[in-house]
Amino acid sequence: MANTLRLYLTCIRNTLEAAMCLQNFPCQEVERHNKPEVELKTSPELLLNPVLICRNEAEKCLIETSINSLRISLKVKQADELENILTKKFLRFLSMRAEAFQVLRRKPVQGYDISFLITNYHCEEMQKHKLIDFIVQFMEDIDKEISELKMSVNTRGRLVATEFLKQFL
Amino acid sequence: MQYSISVHFYTSITTHICGETERVNQAFLRMACFERASPALKDVLLKLYRAEKPMQMDHHLYEFGAVKYHIQSSASDPHHAYLSISTPLLSQDTLQSHGLSHYTREMVKGVSPDAAEIVEPAKEGYLLTLRLNFDKIPSGKDSVKVITEISAVQAVLLSSQLKEMLQNVNSQVTFQGMYKPIKLVYHPREPFFVVRQPQKSIAVFPMRFKENSDVIIATAFFQELMDVGSSKEWAKAPPCTWSPIPPPELRGELIEDLSTNGGFVSFDIFPRHVEGKRLDKTVWSLLNFYAYVKYHVKCTRGFIQRRMRKRLESLAEVLQKASSEEQQQQQIKKDKGFKYMRKMVSKSKNFKRRCSNLSRKIKRIRLRIKIRGFGRFRRRWLRLPNFCSSKGYTKLD
Repeated sequence: MANTLRLYLTCIRNTLEAAMCLQNFPCQEVERHNKPEVELKTSPELLLNPVLICRNEAEKCLIETSINSLRISLKVKQADELENILTKKFLRFLSMRAEAFQVLRRKPVQGYDISFLITNYHCEEMQKHKLIDFIVQFMEDIDKEISELKMSVNTRGRLVATEFLKQFL
Repeated sequence: MQYSISVHFYTSITTHICGETERVNQAFLRMACFERASPALKDVLLKLYRAEKPMQMDHHLYEFGAVKYHIQSSASDPHHAYLSISTPLLSQDTLQSHGLSHYTREMVKGVSPDAAEIVEPAKEGYLLTLRLNFDKIPSGKDSVKVITEISAVQAVLLSSQLKEMLQNVNSQVTFQGMYKPIKLVYHPREPFFVVRQPQKSIAVFPMRFKENSDVIIATAFFQELMDVGSSKEWAKAPPCTWSPIPPPELRGELIEDLSTNGGFVSFDIFPRHVEGKRLDKTVWSLLNFYAYVKYHVKCTRGFIQRRMRKRLESLAEVLQKASSEEQQQQQIKKDKGFKYMRKMVSKSKNFKRRCSNLSRKIKRIRLRIKIRGFGRFRRRWLRLPNFCSSKGYTKLD
């Protein structure tokens, strides 16, 4: 792993460890309602300051915390057009299957490629450190997968081009 | 009028699971094999040829929108059948006043000179009519070969037109000092151009795609094609160039022909590429270039989808593990409590003694001697301990 990437991921991990202290908290506005405050933002006293961690302009992570929920939004690097479409395709594919992940948001926050919403219930159901591991692992895997996909597409292109030119000989 | 080319792909399904590289190689092999013969026409002709009793047939076949076949045979003349073909021509310039050019006719005659002969004039509404003589078709495996050749007559018609153009590399058709490009259309949205110059012919393909993602995948392929073509290993293949803007040779062409989203791919065809047997390969490769690129794009999209699906499972696995581990831990905690109690019940001697005393007392209580107020005392002080059920349910009172 590149040194800068490790630092970036460590920073995200530490921030998540600090931010992920969620508790059950019913809605203050509506009786018998229990909603993620980070989404509704009904009471400012229940929200913490959002933390933005940037590796560079194209790669950043926004962590928004509230008393009972946490929202993590990621922007994945897209160096060229091919990476751009591969990232879009892949993240859209994952978002459409959000139920497989439980913590994945179907629609990313504006300006980001993918968002996660973790509530206190998720922390109760799954272990906190496992959730953090998942987020960090996910970020690593996405980067790796996009690079591998790009390489595969180019390799396929090269092989197909070779096969095409073979026909002339 | 619609134009199309008869291109078929081998789509044999590989049932065994193999490595991705192997799968890629297999896909490319399939891509390289464009079938020239029309499978539907081949089936009909084989059926007719193998029929034990004389068959009456008047069959129309349509392929790719604009290709039309008409097969006729009568029971009175079982050894002969008539095959008429209507296909759009690559270029209207190649259509002579009396129908097909001499070169094309010669090529068609060469398909199977014994078994098929051209009927003059062709049936009304068709470009070509062939009279098939089943007596002249050799028996056994060779019959399939000959019928396959006859079924590929539409491919012969199309490729012969391009062959004719490429063979005349040195003929200079100039228009206002420029070499005028010839527009060839085999699909209304996919025309391509052939520019004949003194030393070479240039085939220019304006590339259009419906989706932006297709454009990017195809662009990556064109760049690889340029890279591979420029290497020493492929020096014998026609040099290939890709440019997002129209090449200067197409100056003066209609704007709708020059407006593309995938740029322009050009192949320089030198006389050495159209010599002898190479001519057929070159022509077929050029005619199938669009289909080839589109097939590659389609396969790549499928590959990306396949890979994403595979990845989804491994990504979701981490969370599922976390959730199942948490459940396991909770279960262990529950079980631990129950086990402790059971252990305590089974091992403690004092507890055993106390229990036996208690049971004795209960037995005594069950005797018919009634002690006033003992019922209350028993309910309060002699209650049996309430253990958690190992089955995970509690009886409702």
